[in-house]
Amino acid sequence: MIPGKLIRFLEQDANVAFAGSRDRDLVPFGHRVSGWRVGADHRTMTILFPDEFLARLVESLQQNRELAITVEAFPSHETYQFKGHYVNHRDVDDEDVEAADRLRRRWVKGNRMFSNTPEDVLNGFVSRPSLAVDVEVLEIYLQTPGPGAGTRLVPPMER
Amino acid sequence: MPVIRLPSDIRPVLENGAPAVMVTCSADGKPNTTVISQVYYVDETHVALSFQFFSKTIRNVRENPRAYVCVFDMAGQAHWSLQLQFERSETEGPVFDTMDMQIEAIASMTGMSGIFKLRAADIYRVVSVERVQHPAWTPSE
Repeated sequence: MIPGKLIRFLEQDANVAFAGSRDRDLVPFGHRVSGWRVGADHRTMTILFPDEFLARLVESLQQNRELAITVEAFPSHETYQFKGHYVNHRDVDDEDVEAADRLRRRWVKGNRMFSNTPEDVLNGFVSRPSLAVDVEVLEIYLQTPGPGAGTRLVPPMER
Repeated sequence: MPVIRLPSDIRPVLENGAPAVMVTCSADGKPNTTVISQVYYVDETHVALSFQFFSKTIRNVRENPRAYVCVFDMAGQAHWSLQLQFERSETEGPVFDTMDMQIEAIASMTGMSGIFKLRAADIYRVVSVERVQHPAWTPSE
């Protein structure tokens, strides 16, 4: 279950994400994320990927199901990593594209107050998604830089 | 095994100060992603990554030496994908000293002074390198 605080983070604050998969030989691969949606069950997320980061993604997920997604709010650097199992994939729909566009607007807004990067460059950083992957979230880790980075939040670590 | 060399046009991207992303995988097959503040050019066939406090990443590369790094060329609307193989960790010497100074500068610029601290410079051999151009996507507003 994704806690309410983290759902608010995902839906209101976070503005950049990256996913990691691995193949049958344990070789890791990275995939830029164009957006995400939290499932109504609060246990699943739909991760949106652009064309240029699809290499080996579906093949690896169908082999071993493992996916990790790091999600950050820039410029605060609040960061969480979501780890889970692939459920299925499909082409994106209009709501997915709108979710990616919302993310892009948050990304541009978050950067505009912090850097001199031109707005067209910031806009170009988020690509149009082409593939939606549903993931069952099993673990969530704090990754905000600092001594608490790496702490498992879900399920809670035993004391 | 072929020797893979970094092209010269990746160097400005490595030095642009933008965060990069690293993916590793544990011996039991769980991928791990993390943001890293610096990918340091060592020579044509090696890069160094900063070991600060991302302990899961460090544990993973000691178990399974393969790693993936993505560096972003925002101005060029492209990214570079690097497949890497961990070789060794350095806690002193010219690479460590230069990375330590650069980490401090990045920390200062991003309001993270006192949080970023270089523990080691991890040296990786480049297994593959690829530049991918991003297609244009017209904003909605």
